[in-house]
Amino acid sequence: MSLFDNVMAGLALVGNINAFLSLAIGIVIGVIGGAIPGISATMAVALALPFTFPMEAINGILLLLGVYKGGIFGGSIPAILIKTPGTPASSATVLDGHPMAARGEAGRALGMALWASCTADLISNLSLILFAGWLASFALSFGPPEFFALILFSLTIIAGVSGDSLLRGALSALLGLLLATIGLDLIYGTNRFTFGDPNLMGGLNFIAVLIGLFAIPEILNTVWHPTGHLGNVQKLGKNWVTFADYRRCFKTIVRGSFIGVFLGSIPGIGAAPAAFLSYSEARRKSPNKANFGKGEIEGVAASEAGNNGVAGATLIPLLALGVPGDVITAIIIGAFMVHGLQPGPMMFVMNSDIIYGLFIGLIFSSALLFVIGGLAIRGFKPVADIPRRILMPMVLVLCIYGVFAVNNNLFDVGVMFVMGWVGFVMGRCHIPAAPFLIAFILGPMLEDNFRQAMLMSGGSPVILLRGPITWFFWGVTALTVIAIARGSLDKARETG
Amino acid sequence: MNQQAIQLRLGIVAMLAAAFLIFYAIPNWVSSPSNVRNLVLSPLFWPYILSGLTGLVGLGLVIAGRRMSATTEPVNDAIEDPRAGLVRLCAMAGLMALVFWAMPRLGMVWTSMLAFAAMAFLIRTRHPVTAVVCAALTPLVLYAFFAHVAGVAIPQGILVRLP
Repeated sequence: MSLFDNVMAGLALVGNINAFLSLAIGIVIGVIGGAIPGISATMAVALALPFTFPMEAINGILLLLGVYKGGIFGGSIPAILIKTPGTPASSATVLDGHPMAARGEAGRALGMALWASCTADLISNLSLILFAGWLASFALSFGPPEFFALILFSLTIIAGVSGDSLLRGALSALLGLLLATIGLDLIYGTNRFTFGDPNLMGGLNFIAVLIGLFAIPEILNTVWHPTGHLGNVQKLGKNWVTFADYRRCFKTIVRGSFIGVFLGSIPGIGAAPAAFLSYSEARRKSPNKANFGKGEIEGVAASEAGNNGVAGATLIPLLALGVPGDVITAIIIGAFMVHGLQPGPMMFVMNSDIIYGLFIGLIFSSALLFVIGGLAIRGFKPVADIPRRILMPMVLVLCIYGVFAVNNNLFDVGVMFVMGWVGFVMGRCHIPAAPFLIAFILGPMLEDNFRQAMLMSGGSPVILLRGPITWFFWGVTALTVIAIARGSLDKARETG
Repeated sequence: MNQQAIQLRLGIVAMLAAAFLIFYAIPNWVSSPSNVRNLVLSPLFWPYILSGLTGLVGLGLVIAGRRMSATTEPVNDAIEDPRAGLVRLCAMAGLMALVFWAMPRLGMVWTSMLAFAAMAFLIRTRHPVTAVVCAALTPLVLYAFFAHVAGVAIPQGILVRLP
């Protein structure tokens, strides 16, 4: 069948009200799920999965994809309004989104988050359509040494989110890496810092650490100084994002989208590292780099472009190779299988109508996300107007329920409380929390891939330089480290 | 406390933490099979590397702190009554411990209601009636959503059980 025939067959499949309704309902569920801390896009997709079983295959899959895309955007709403990322992917959005909300520009930050999300989503979907086969075959050539080099490079983004002191950022990252070692050793299955407690054997729950580190310190700050917010505007504000803002951030959005597409097409990386890498690159290239972390709209655009750029691209390995790129696509692959479909190269031959139907649906999903996201921002407006001394106890209760719901485990609530105090102390000592979180996400991947590479080579480190991909990542890591060192030296000279 | 004092203290704490990890915590709390042939494959390797790096960063912080020009400018904004702030923080720590203890016994809904109300009064809310209403409604709404929509088994406790 020619491309035209495929497109027509796909259009015949999705050119009906049911398909668009499924997609729209999915996006609504996703935005609401993403906006509730602790639900996350993953949980929303998992919850929606059983409801798709009686539906037609294409409608069911479109609904799940809508939940996924809506969830990634929805996470930015509480990240900006109450400094609590609804999903891990929105962690980077907190850095500039919340300071903007604190000075009365929540509407502008949310608007930019929406515009950047929709643009990145569109770019990601187009990339999926254009590069599915090529990028998937490239990702297939990634083994543990290549992953190790890539993650090591990703760790250099810590320099971009360290604030005033690179050393404090490094200390924060090392704390995150150390905390990530808790649990059973993945190769030998021996205990590391578990103290014989079964709750610790799987490591610390990521959501508990995330919410503990970002939301609980806000609560503790309010307890420490209950009237500290008086005089600070915390409303949605009259300012809305303008086309001039969008045009100024457009390069950042496109760059972030492609970072998301690239990282999303590699299985196992996920949206959170993409958001942080996009943020770091934006900061490095921006003329307003001093404003990053203090409420720079370009920071919000970069973070949201990075995480939404992943959403379409994670489907590249899923559709082209049948390899799920992250947890969400692993759930979505279940929906394919329930409907008797086997994602992979053969699907492009046997079920090309479904493939092209999905492509068409995905293109429309960006427009639907724009409309539904805009309504959601207005719907969540009252959150910005709640008095802080009512909002903070509400956030506490929301965090308790959200963290418990992830694993049905009260221990995670305890972890969240402890991490909250760690975050509070870090804040008082001006140790940035973002490097901690990035290292906590990337730490296990870094260690596992390093040790797998060592297992493959019998302990020879030469394997870490085995081919052009590793050379490339080692090269850019070295260049980045040199640039960071030069920047630090220049700064030290300037300060005297 | 000024920037220099914080930098120096952080450096010293980081070095002490690294020493504690290297000499006590890792040997005692990280187990490794005796037949690991290659050092880099051992479960001990990564924690030791990270601890060593923590010590080095601590040393860097101390050196950088000593080079800093001493200023009297405080790092954090002062509050009116730091003593009262400290008391509130201790009370909040107690509240968190109590919440953790009470959740399996009283149930998440009732514990959350009490926690909401206690925290609202701890931070001296200007809307006490709204706080009490929200304290009662928020956990109930969340319970309804998580238990009946998301299918999460919210702990009910041993006293009053919700449908």
